[in-house]
Amino acid sequence: MPHKAFFAFIMPSLLAMLLFIALPIVSVAVQSLYVQHERVVTEVETCAPFAGCTTETRVDAEATEKLRHAEPLGRFNGFGTYLDRNHLATAEIGAILADNAGFADIASRIYNLPFYRALAFTLTYTFVVTPLAMLLGFCIALGVNAIPPFYKGPVIFFSLLPMIVTPLVGALILYWMSSPQGILGATLQSLLNDPTLSLKSSAVLTWVTLLVYGIWHNAPFSFVVFYAGLQTVPHDTLESAMIDGANRWERIRFVVIPHLMPLATFVALVQLMDNFRVFEPIVGFSAEANATSLSWSIFNDLRGQVDQLFGSAAATSMLTIVGVVILLSPVLVRTWREFNRR
Amino acid sequence: MIVKKRRRPLPLTVLSTTFVLLWVLMAAFPFIWTVWGSFKVEQDFFSRDSWWFAIEGPRTIAQTGSAFTGDGYYGAWVLRDFFSSVVNTIIVTVSVVVISLTFGTLGGYALARSGYRYTFWLLMLALVFRAMPHITLVSGYLLPFFEMNIWGHLPTAIIVLVAINQPFTLWMLHSFFLSIPKDLDESAMVDGCSRFQAFRMVVIPVMWPGVITTGLFSFLLAYNDFAVTAMLLSQPNQTMVPKIASFLGTIQQEGNVMFAVAAVVSATAPLFVLVMFFQRQIVSGLTAGAVKG
Amino acid sequence: MAEIRLKNVSKRWHNFVGVNNFDLDIADREFLVLLGPSGCGKTTTMRMIAGLDDISEGEIWLGDRMVNNLEPKDRDISMVFQSYGLYPNMTVYENIRFPLRVRKVPKELHHEKVMQAARMVELVDFLERRPAALSGGQRQRVALGRAIVRQPAAFLMDEPLSNLDAKLRVSTRAQIKNLQHTLKVTTIYVTHDQIEAMTLADRVVVMNRGVIQQVGTPTDIYDNPANTFVASFIGSPAMNLVSGDIENGTFRGPGITIAGLQTNVKGPVTLGFRAEDASLVSEGGEFGAEVYSMELLGEATMASFRIGDQLVSIKSGKEYRAEIGDVVHAAIPASICHLFDTDTGVRIARTPGN
Ligand SMILES: Nc1ncnc2c1ncn2[C@@H]1O[C@H](COP(=O)(O)OP(=O)(O)OP(=O)(O)O)[C@@H](O)[C@H]1O
Ligand SMILES: [Mg+2]
Repeated sequence: MPHKAFFAFIMPSLLAMLLFIALPIVSVAVQSLYVQHERVVTEVETCAPFAGCTTETRVDAEATEKLRHAEPLGRFNGFGTYLDRNHLATAEIGAILADNAGFADIASRIYNLPFYRALAFTLTYTFVVTPLAMLLGFCIALGVNAIPPFYKGPVIFFSLLPMIVTPLVGALILYWMSSPQGILGATLQSLLNDPTLSLKSSAVLTWVTLLVYGIWHNAPFSFVVFYAGLQTVPHDTLESAMIDGANRWERIRFVVIPHLMPLATFVALVQLMDNFRVFEPIVGFSAEANATSLSWSIFNDLRGQVDQLFGSAAATSMLTIVGVVILLSPVLVRTWREFNRR
Repeated sequence: MIVKKRRRPLPLTVLSTTFVLLWVLMAAFPFIWTVWGSFKVEQDFFSRDSWWFAIEGPRTIAQTGSAFTGDGYYGAWVLRDFFSSVVNTIIVTVSVVVISLTFGTLGGYALARSGYRYTFWLLMLALVFRAMPHITLVSGYLLPFFEMNIWGHLPTAIIVLVAINQPFTLWMLHSFFLSIPKDLDESAMVDGCSRFQAFRMVVIPVMWPGVITTGLFSFLLAYNDFAVTAMLLSQPNQTMVPKIASFLGTIQQEGNVMFAVAAVVSATAPLFVLVMFFQRQIVSGLTAGAVKG
Repeated sequence: MAEIRLKNVSKRWHNFVGVNNFDLDIADREFLVLLGPSGCGKTTTMRMIAGLDDISEGEIWLGDRMVNNLEPKDRDISMVFQSYGLYPNMTVYENIRFPLRVRKVPKELHHEKVMQAARMVELVDFLERRPAALSGGQRQRVALGRAIVRQPAAFLMDEPLSNLDAKLRVSTRAQIKNLQHTLKVTTIYVTHDQIEAMTLADRVVVMNRGVIQQVGTPTDIYDNPANTFVASFIGSPAMNLVSGDIENGTFRGPGITIAGLQTNVKGPVTLGFRAEDASLVSEGGEFGAEVYSMELLGEATMASFRIGDQLVSIKSGKEYRAEIGDVVHAAIPASICHLFDTDTGVRIARTPGN
């Protein structure tokens, strides 16, 4: 296809992506260097009879509004926002490292800094949910592959539901069930014999709940892909292995798994990307007291009705983007190498 | 003589069947439970005494005289105007699907048919874009949109969703187009079609399965989105998902969680139907991406 | 090393019969070829022996073991598949080594055995490659190497040469024959190529629609086909079959009269003779007709004639020439003729003295 025709065809799509994905990234980068204006403060001298004159400082709402209107970006702050307490918190970390009582102390104090809290949960979620969901999905695929064909359709139907459901809605459904008045929460209380048990009350339990939700939500995707992969396992090779003397497990180990490996890479890539932006479950489970994620922090900064902290949100966004690029870099490097070899 | 099936030892069969059953229960039970519970009153669905109440519904009978009540649905749809957000959702999803597919088929076709190096880079760029968390993009939109006075309107959210959807659509349609032999459009062009005519009259007609599958996923993205619609739409323009989220803020204090439960069930029902009718396309779509990706 | 016995083995899917009442003893170290048209049940028979398909009826014995209920891996056989069934993620070396590995052969023996097998199939230079980086013939040899790396009781080969080009087929065929000779292992070989069957086999089993038609040495099958199916399946061109009537030892068909045949039959029969046994003559002969087509084969010339709805071919020397439409005569002595029952197709045996 000649260049001209190519660009004519791809233009709408490319334009949409440039305008609404590339440009916003630039916009985020710019915004992250600014910080919202301080309120304009005026000194007003009020002189009352007998009391003498007092000077008061007052927020000049009108002037503030005007300033904001004139310079919506705020004032330039350089990399200040990145380094402040709510982001990389370099000063605080320096202080912690300089004066601490051992490793546990460092860890717990760093964990109290909002950015690192969010980062800790995001990474845990990404790297716990992805492999476990893939493992579960693989086991389901093996199981479903062995049941009579007649039942496969309905089983696949139900299996798709956790994945296809709106993440927020799925999270809400599980949240309601696991609340102390819901069926799961109540059952747990009676099983563990602890009437005060609430999944929300402890950080560990909240994390576990969120991770379980994540696995529940992500497993179907791996299941479907692996199941489809199982259908294309070369029959001859499988039978060769049987005759060569491989038992059931060895056949899975030497024939099925190698065959599914490219699919597994693909699933891992997609799920890592999706899990890294974990956000809706935290809203759905109202879990922000015990678990926050990078996406949730951005959302929280933007949600303020009066003061939307654009600068702060933008800085977190930039850090998140850096995270995504780091996450993707092995794939990108590998693809690039393969591409050059061709 | 009856030859026994000796392929699979019995314990293994039992184990794997139990496992599958357990999984189906795990996958389906929350939905069944919630659908059932949405027809109860709050004191039953969130009973402090026993979850058995949610099944039998004694309080529901006491309060409304029957074991099932549509109060939650009435509250959500009529009192809380869930209806208008349904309309908004329809507008948004339909527009997103149509525009995404139009842009995506054109772009995907170009990527599949051009042999130049830059297609590779474009696909890689799309992959990186696909990985961007939506909320980071939203934080890039907000300020400019405020300044341009286009914040809060449906078209804004639509075009943003289309753009966010493009990387995925491009990848998927690209791989579908690759599976259609080049000879097809080339012979059409030899027969006298222009490139665009060949695309429209020869390629698209055989591409329908791929287009439908991709459309399904575009639909799901638009329908399930929370980050973009919650941040970019004004109150009256809200779609279902942010509306449900806003219920949580206001209703929970008022003690009428059942509105939210009813809304959740209403929002999930279309997805059920979708999976029921398009199960095969969804499965093939997930796999198509996997095989080529 | 073992003999293989199939006792009245059948395979059914619902009411479709894939293999019907297959009964055969295969001697130790024998090279047995299953030959038949596509879909006749050759693969099915072999897969039942391997244990990949269940048996609907009958028994299979390997040596002194009844193996009906044994897993493939416990039957001690090795198999070469039509599409090879190589492990794409392993190197050639690992592919050949795989049976040793999963059968828990002591590790220190592996290298020696793998190298020995690799030398036999001439793959020593390719050991580090993956199957994807090999040609069809090389892949074929990897599959062979994997089969011979351990000493199984029997080799099963399912059309192992069908993916190779004609030249490679000849050389690999020789290699297989030689390997079997060296290793002295009972071998069952499936093919629908009769040249392969003729050149490789100690005995050939001709099958049709799941039923054995004839078992015998290649010469036996060529010279004394048991029925019209075998007669028309074996040989290139296949045996000429002409229907007619016989009385008092004289066969009469359209344009053909042969005297001096068996006198013990009477009525409608099918007469068969091979193209190369008859000869074209200028005058007389048992047969005369217009030439329908002439084919120059290089080493011979073949004239075909149309008799009723049948085509009869007769070979002649390479200098022989005739025009289409010329009337030509042929000598078909009674000694080269075979008689078959018209209804059942079964050969009518020659009674001694006739
Ligand atoms: N799983 C099955 N279910 C039903 N019928 C089958 C099955 N497998 C094979 N058949 C039938 O059994 C018959 C014998 O098949 P088989 O594969 O043994 O043929 P073959 O002799 O190996 O032929 P080819 O030379 O083409 O490989 C065929 O008619 C086939 O359609
Ligand atoms: Mg076969």
